[in-house]
Amino acid sequence: MGSRDNILARIKANKPDAIGLPQIDDTLFDDEYDLIKEFTKKVEVVGGNVLEAQSNQDILKQITTLIPNTVVNFSTLSDSLDFNTINLEAIKNPQELEDLDILILESDLGVAENGAVWVTDKNLPIRVLPFITKHLVFVISKENIVPYMHQAYNKLSESSSGFGVFISGPSKTADIEQSLVIGAHGALSLTIFLKN
Amino acid sequence: MSHSKLASIFNKDEKRVDWHDKALWFVRHKRDLSVHQVKGWEELRNLGHGIKAHMLSNLDSYLIEFEENAIKNGVEVHWAANGEEHNQIVHKILKENNAKKVVKSKSMLTEECHLNPFLEADGIEVIDTDLGERIVQLAKEPPSHIVLPAIHKNKHEVDELFQEHLGTKPCDGDPQYLTREARKHLREKFIEADAAITGVNFAIAETGGFVVCTNEGNADMGAHLAPVHIACMGVEKIIPKQEHLGVFLRLLARSATGQPITTYSSHFNKPRKGAKMHIVIVDNGRSEQLSRPDFRASLHCIRCGACMNTCPIYRRSGGHSYDATIPGPIGSILSPGKDLTKHSSLPFASTLCGSCSDVCPVKIDIHSQLYKWRQIITKETPQPFIKKKSMEIMGKIFAKPAQFEKVGKIARWSLRNLPKSMINSKPNAWGKARDLPTGPKQSFDEWYNERENNKKKD
Repeated sequence: MGSRDNILARIKANKPDAIGLPQIDDTLFDDEYDLIKEFTKKVEVVGGNVLEAQSNQDILKQITTLIPNTVVNFSTLSDSLDFNTINLEAIKNPQELEDLDILILESDLGVAENGAVWVTDKNLPIRVLPFITKHLVFVISKENIVPYMHQAYNKLSESSSGFGVFISGPSKTADIEQSLVIGAHGALSLTIFLKN
Repeated sequence: MSHSKLASIFNKDEKRVDWHDKALWFVRHKRDLSVHQVKGWEELRNLGHGIKAHMLSNLDSYLIEFEENAIKNGVEVHWAANGEEHNQIVHKILKENNAKKVVKSKSMLTEECHLNPFLEADGIEVIDTDLGERIVQLAKEPPSHIVLPAIHKNKHEVDELFQEHLGTKPCDGDPQYLTREARKHLREKFIEADAAITGVNFAIAETGGFVVCTNEGNADMGAHLAPVHIACMGVEKIIPKQEHLGVFLRLLARSATGQPITTYSSHFNKPRKGAKMHIVIVDNGRSEQLSRPDFRASLHCIRCGACMNTCPIYRRSGGHSYDATIPGPIGSILSPGKDLTKHSSLPFASTLCGSCSDVCPVKIDIHSQLYKWRQIITKETPQPFIKKKSMEIMGKIFAKPAQFEKVGKIARWSLRNLPKSMINSKPNAWGKARDLPTGPKQSFDEWYNERENNKKKD
């Protein structure tokens, strides 16, 4: 524990006098925009797309039409037994998910200002799923879209999960001469279904 | 080598300088478009600054709180006083887990500690998985930018590198094809990895968790597949509460690339079932920087790179000319604190135009800190002979108005009448890349007096 105590002692000796913690006033940022419109616009800006759906069956039908002939599919929606081609309980190592084509997940929080969708390991049976899949699909109720990150964290304050992630759009990179390429290591496409 | 000497190497290829300048300005422009859409942006910056200032004033307690909570979450916490100790800790964890293949997501801290060569010396394979990082790793170069590590390379150079190392086909630098090939190559590495190393963007004292931001998803591919995850963080990455992420995640990506948020903002709290998670908390000079009232605000930095993208010197000299892990304006404040002699030229690599301070999401007074370093460096390190002598002479001339008037007359006459070869001679560093203006016939004094006299006549 030598370094720990040394570091802490040095910091204690070197830090400035106490400075107060500012409070976050959400109202400073309120732009009063239409949440669903803004959310849809931002998802498109970051390379994803937003669709409307009436029921889980409707979602499964739409996605198999959009991305046909896939082999390995998994959905956490109820009544998706016909859609699922793998049994996650039989998966011993996350590496076995390498060939996953479509993953459908439910989320209970989306953010209008940046099109991000929150998912935790409560509705994520294996953590690597949304990253390793080729096509990622989220299902979210319109009433669960909040305007800014501040409201998002207010909603998250009670829940504690082992892992949680905001995902905004499909994976992307611009590391080769600043040309934007969709589909780096993670999902090649992102579709979000909004339910009433 | 001094910044100006290294910059002159980069400046030999004028076309590249132009292209580099434009590529970074393009990113700066995207940042502007993005932040102008955010109502209350300045208030958000004030919050970012205020939260960081508060954090530094209470850093020891927050680190202890973070450690307690992380341990409660089942994470092992390690402390490293310097880069070497950091490397040894990481190495020890890898050895204990018999890890020979490591995938790393971008972390400027591990660059700062020179972790890769340390591990490679013991036969451990370390693969950088961020595309830009992988490109510079294949080229055996350090990153030249903290967010865009390969910004100095053009697509044809990447094409050639990939042909040589990954066996790709010639493609005239097609970014789509090259990215797909990198995806395949790196996916193999993710699948085979024994351990994953990531950096930390924000560590939350309240929860003991930490957040890692990427656009590619490489940190997550590594951390959720490998049985061991090691996260390395500088002590200043702490924020008090989870709700403060609402401020910093709004600021970070908009300032970095103009995106409203990075594609993935991953919150790691507990290890997944059957896997291990380690956090290495690193000082490496940070507590010393904390002791300097004039420079401690540099520890607010959230590593967005906005100051680099906007800096007229950085854009025209390239990141490698700084010869430091963190280049550009913020790096020029951090580096002298570590080695004043080695980095003595960096605070002078600035026009002091203040653009860096204007775009900084956490309101670090970057340009005034650069100016303050100059005062210290001029006193404490040997200065070039010509610079020192010319300053001395100028000081004497400026002190005596009559003498200044005489010298001014000679200078104005010389600029009008002497041949260019004499004016732009060797001691005149200014004349290396530009011509001096034609000397005016009057001095300001003469012009002003004449004007006042004419007024009286009227």
